[in-house]
Amino acid sequence: MTPQLITTDVLVIGGGLAGERCAIEAAAAGQEAMILSLVPPRRSHSCAAQGGMQAALGNCVKAEGDSPQVHFQDTVRGSDWGADQEVARIFAEEAPVAVRELAHYGVPWTRVRGGKNKYFIKGESVEIEELLENDGLITHRDFGGTAKWRACYAAAGTGHAALYAVDSQVVRLGITVRDRVEAIALIHDGSRCFGVVARCLRTGKQFCVLAKATVIATGGYGRIYGRYTTNATINYGTGAAIALDTGVVPLGNMEAVQFHPTALSPSGILITEGCRGDGGYLLDKNLHRFMVDAEPEKQELASRDVVSRHMMQCILDGNGVDSPNGRHLWLDIRHLGEKHLTTKLLEVFDICRDFAGINPANDMIPVRPTQHYSMGGVRVNKDGEAYGMAGLYAVGEAACWDMHGFNRLGGNSLAETLVAGRVVGARVAEYASGTTLQADTELAFAALAAAEKRAQNLLAREGNGRSVYEIRDALGEIMITKVGIFRTGDDLKSAVDEIKALIEECSHAVLRHKGPGANPELAFALRFPGMLRLALTVAMGALARAESRGAHFRSDFPLRNDREWLNRTLARWKPDASAPTLSYEPVGLIDLAPGHRGYGSDERIEMNKTVSQYNESVADLQAREGRLASVEAIGSRLQQTQGVAR
Amino acid sequence: MSDKENAAARRLRFEIFRFNPEDPNSEPHIDVFEIDERPYMTLYMALNEIRETLDSGLQFDFACRSAICGSCGMMVNGRPSLGCRTLTADLPETIRLHPLPAFKLIGDLSVDTGTWFREMAERTEAWIHEQQPFNKDATEERMSDDIAQAIYEGDRCIECGCCVASCGVANVNPDFLAAAGLNRVSRFMMDPRDKRDDADWFEVVAGQQGVFGCVGLMACADVCPKELPLLEVYAYLRRRILGSKFLSDRSDPPPDINT
Amino acid sequence: MKILTNATNAVDSKVNARRQIVYELISGGTGLALALFMFGHVVLVGSILTGERGFDWMATMLEDYYIAQPTIAAIFALFIVHAIVASRKIPAQLDERRRMIALAKGLKNAGRDKVPSRRDNSPFVPHLESMLWIWQVRTGMVMLVLGSFHLVLLGMDIFTPLFGDHAGIESSTSLARVAAGLWLPYGILLLCVEFHASVGLYRLAVKWGSGFLPHRRHLHRIEQVIFWVVLGLGAITLLVLAGVLSPPLEFLLSEGAS
Ligand SMILES: Cc1cc2nc3c(=O)[nH]c(=O)nc-3n(C[C@H](O)[C@H](O)[C@H](O)COP(=O)(O)OP(=O)(O)OC[C@H]3O[C@@H](n4cnc5c(N)ncnc54)[C@H](O)[C@@H]3O)c2cc1C
Ligand code: HEM
Ligand code: HEM
Ligand code: SF4
Ligand code: F3S
Ligand code: FES
Repeated sequence: MTPQLITTDVLVIGGGLAGERCAIEAAAAGQEAMILSLVPPRRSHSCAAQGGMQAALGNCVKAEGDSPQVHFQDTVRGSDWGADQEVARIFAEEAPVAVRELAHYGVPWTRVRGGKNKYFIKGESVEIEELLENDGLITHRDFGGTAKWRACYAAAGTGHAALYAVDSQVVRLGITVRDRVEAIALIHDGSRCFGVVARCLRTGKQFCVLAKATVIATGGYGRIYGRYTTNATINYGTGAAIALDTGVVPLGNMEAVQFHPTALSPSGILITEGCRGDGGYLLDKNLHRFMVDAEPEKQELASRDVVSRHMMQCILDGNGVDSPNGRHLWLDIRHLGEKHLTTKLLEVFDICRDFAGINPANDMIPVRPTQHYSMGGVRVNKDGEAYGMAGLYAVGEAACWDMHGFNRLGGNSLAETLVAGRVVGARVAEYASGTTLQADTELAFAALAAAEKRAQNLLAREGNGRSVYEIRDALGEIMITKVGIFRTGDDLKSAVDEIKALIEECSHAVLRHKGPGANPELAFALRFPGMLRLALTVAMGALARAESRGAHFRSDFPLRNDREWLNRTLARWKPDASAPTLSYEPVGLIDLAPGHRGYGSDERIEMNKTVSQYNESVADLQAREGRLASVEAIGSRLQQTQGVAR
Repeated sequence: MSDKENAAARRLRFEIFRFNPEDPNSEPHIDVFEIDERPYMTLYMALNEIRETLDSGLQFDFACRSAICGSCGMMVNGRPSLGCRTLTADLPETIRLHPLPAFKLIGDLSVDTGTWFREMAERTEAWIHEQQPFNKDATEERMSDDIAQAIYEGDRCIECGCCVASCGVANVNPDFLAAAGLNRVSRFMMDPRDKRDDADWFEVVAGQQGVFGCVGLMACADVCPKELPLLEVYAYLRRRILGSKFLSDRSDPPPDINT
Repeated sequence: MKILTNATNAVDSKVNARRQIVYELISGGTGLALALFMFGHVVLVGSILTGERGFDWMATMLEDYYIAQPTIAAIFALFIVHAIVASRKIPAQLDERRRMIALAKGLKNAGRDKVPSRRDNSPFVPHLESMLWIWQVRTGMVMLVLGSFHLVLLGMDIFTPLFGDHAGIESSTSLARVAAGLWLPYGILLLCVEFHASVGLYRLAVKWGSGFLPHRRHLHRIEQVIFWVVLGLGAITLLVLAGVLSPPLEFLLSEGAS
């Protein structure tokens, strides 16, 4: 029996890499930590990450000369200057520590083999002599949008290995994990967060968890794209949705949605970027390497937004391969050889075999760009504190800590979860040790009663009409066709209208199953309105942003516009409003001045002020947005690196 | 590939075990559902279709739907399999689905593998017992790539529980660590970063809950969706334990070897 | 390490672990010894294929040199020890045995639902070994009864000469009693013992040798060959003993004698 109210010091919602790493930090600092998760932590979607984790160790020949500085620049370029550069800096500096810490936790990173090694680079086989003195250090593979080989990896199961290692530390520290528990609402008084109302997915019972600090680490919201996503079926984005529900906490850059170039067609299962990093290439229906024409410099290894657009363009130009499930392109990794495929890309080999019935050593892989990553999320400051709500934090993909801006580089996300887990975890522990638990039971029970009422109302509804599942499918179609890779004002307008109509329809959708217990349909009906709200926030943000930046591409405004749009979208959903309110804040202090990314289009609308003028305006604007003071002085990490060459 | 795409539109008959322990009126029984087969249909798609169109109370677990998270183990015609990677084209028209045995039932096809694996991890202390505390300023310790690959091989277990469910011994002896547990143990035994020695491992591995509980049914290796070399793991553990027992000085380590 | 078994403390669980290792070695070792003996047994009893003279010569020799007496005692001991120690793995509860059997049957009848595999772990699609183990238990039980009876019978044959006028193992008695009806229990015993022994050896090889012995698929082939060859030899022997078949190799000795 679960009591109606339980308490802890630090409550972490989400047992993925970000949540667990954060909980470890808090527990190590002596706070009692509790993790809630939809699934046993090791089944969180972090386990699906295949390709690698970026950290500038510079251990192999092709990584020579790498440093956090170069990593920082790659990250900012990748973000199309949408990132908060202070955060990107913290990130790049801490990433090597995070990777080494994982090695310490037991991750079997693939290591440098001193002596001759065969690699494929830009479609050609080359032999490189790795230094014997580096033998046994963590090695790297190439990933998109980076100047150096930087992605550390454990075969093609990096996320799996990392998550298991981190979870083993959670077990070791005896951190309480309540799996199959879903947070469905935050308990707050408008300025401070006290915990959550949660629903047990085994029994259907609802209860409150009160904590000094609450951390949202619920991962991405890819499932608003229905089945057109590489994400797990549990990536509903509920964490962001319940933060939005407070009416106070804003979500940042929700329109920044990443599409991954190579998802298996039609199932949408991801084929890692590591395939292209290791030398695979993309072919159209004439078996032509179109990326060589499109991006002579980086070829298949430009950033994901750029490659995805070229692929879509290729398909739109009639060069896609026809299949009963729509058009796709080919990913060719046959030349890497069966040995490479069954060791360094083993998981890819298995996926091809299990889900497409092909052997990638003999057959080409049918791929197409598919929704993959949510750059947007709960807007937090450098310390991971949510804007406008004390005691509430967010980390990982659920957060908009904002080192990814408008496009995340492959491999930067795993690194983010661990770096942010460490950094934010320390802040959370600090905050929690400096405050006492405010067991405001009245507030908690009011929230619990409201949640119970919601569930009862849902069960009590009568009538017929589309089921929540049908509405979900309709949402997915709208999102992929109108809020996809190429966006236009007209499409976005109609998407906004249609999503609003779905919200209306959903408010009287009727459940088919009313039985007691877990009731999966009720569980979905409880979380789906949140997904609709997130979808509307994405569409409205995209409609408002009249420029193209990173993954957000407006065919009607194809240029990046640093004059008007070098900023971050903040979306708040005022209580009882029918749509979010958008506002904007500067991206943060600029260190690396906006310029050409090194791939993609070189055309843009330039800023009409200098970097220092921009920076001066930042601090007070941020303060106006209710940003909490950070432990580190603003700008303390900046190094003014504009002049430094790549 | 082609025969899966052209799968002549079959009508699939699903016989699914049903029981909701939360519902006092629920009795264990079998429900029958029929749906049309589609090209490349997996049990993940089929079960969702059943839930979304025929019985929205049906309980089952999927997360990654790409055979890497281990959520969706279930008995498919008597054999533990991952639902998400099982193509209906590989199955006969009648498909019998049951929850994995050996685990606590949550409802219908959903079982509590999470608790089992967490307890296993606690019992075997399945984390690195490091030699030195982490030093954030030092470069990583070296390790040969061959060892890293060998460890990775053991690390690939996705804790789906199929091996546990398939093993007759694990089904009657809840203490048995089973293939998944012993594979995890051997992964740490292999790891040079772990300071535990054979004496520390001895009782975890050697008892009836460990490798000598196994009678060699070999089902675990046959059903493991990740095709882990589980029998090799068992043989390795047996030999190593034998070596440590008879090659060592046979002295008892002190009783409190808590690490 | 902490709570590992139900044992109350670390020392207990260590003792328990050590005990298990010894049991495992005893059951495997006695099984191995018995299996090897049974291959020899095929040859010894198979001497009847060369006719009554060959059989009697063999029997007399083994008895005169006092090989038979200690052997049968040792085999009897191994047999009993093996039965006792190996049975510890058989679940005590009827319900548990039923569950294991149902599971094994399910796995065997699962159909070809296995995706083509990279490593080809299993020689069987579907899985069979669980069912083989169930049959090992069943054949073991049968052997416990029939084998004990046989050993007691032969024990009387062998040991009575030491006390009286009896002639020990003799082809005439053997032929007579087998023909009189012992062929049936012997037939069953033969099938059981060869199955149990060949599967047991296969299992031993996989349990201890996976990784450096040949692949399990090959081991299984070897096991099947051994099973059929030994079973065939034993069956012919039994037919000769029962008087259905005349000794096929009789010419060997009659030539030599003439
Ligand atoms: C297929 C795929 C491959 C990828 N490959 C790479 C890669 O190679 N390199 C890289 O850097 N990045 C990669 N990524 C991205 C990266 O894996 C993710 O961004 C990252 O793992 C997110 O981690 P997280 O901890 O924030 O969230 P997740 O791991 O998604 O965890 C979310 C957790 O929150 C829980 N949760 C969710 N909602 C609730 C709720 N309401 N109540 C309670 N709990 C809840 C879930 O149960 C889960 O435990 C990949 C992503 C995908 C989809
Ligand atoms: C008295 C009758 C017998 C009984 C009840 C019996 C029972 C068993 C059982 C239950 C096992 C499985 C033990 C385990 O897996 O750990 C086993 C294994 C075995 N038995 Fe027997 N057995 C009997 C006689 C024999 C005989 C006569 C032989 C030889 C011909 C034999 C050879 C083996 C072998 C080789 C094994 C494999 C050992 C292992 O896997 O560890 N058994 N027996
Ligand atoms: C040292 C011990 C043994 C001796 C001396 C011995 C001797 C003999 C002899 C003389 C026969 C011929 C038939 C008869 O006289 O009744 C025979 C047959 C047989 N024995 Fe044994 N036996 C021994 C152990 C065993 C054991 C342990 C088993 C199996 C559990 C076994 C199984 C058989 C079978 C199946 C036959 C039938 C003949 C055949 O086809 O091989 N014997 N044995
Ligand atoms: S060993 Fe294989 S079957 Fe067992 S839990 Fe791990 S992956 Fe699943
Ligand atoms: S099925 Fe069970 S008995 Fe042993 S070989 Fe596998 S653990
Ligand atoms: S859903 Fe993840 S393994 Fe099947």
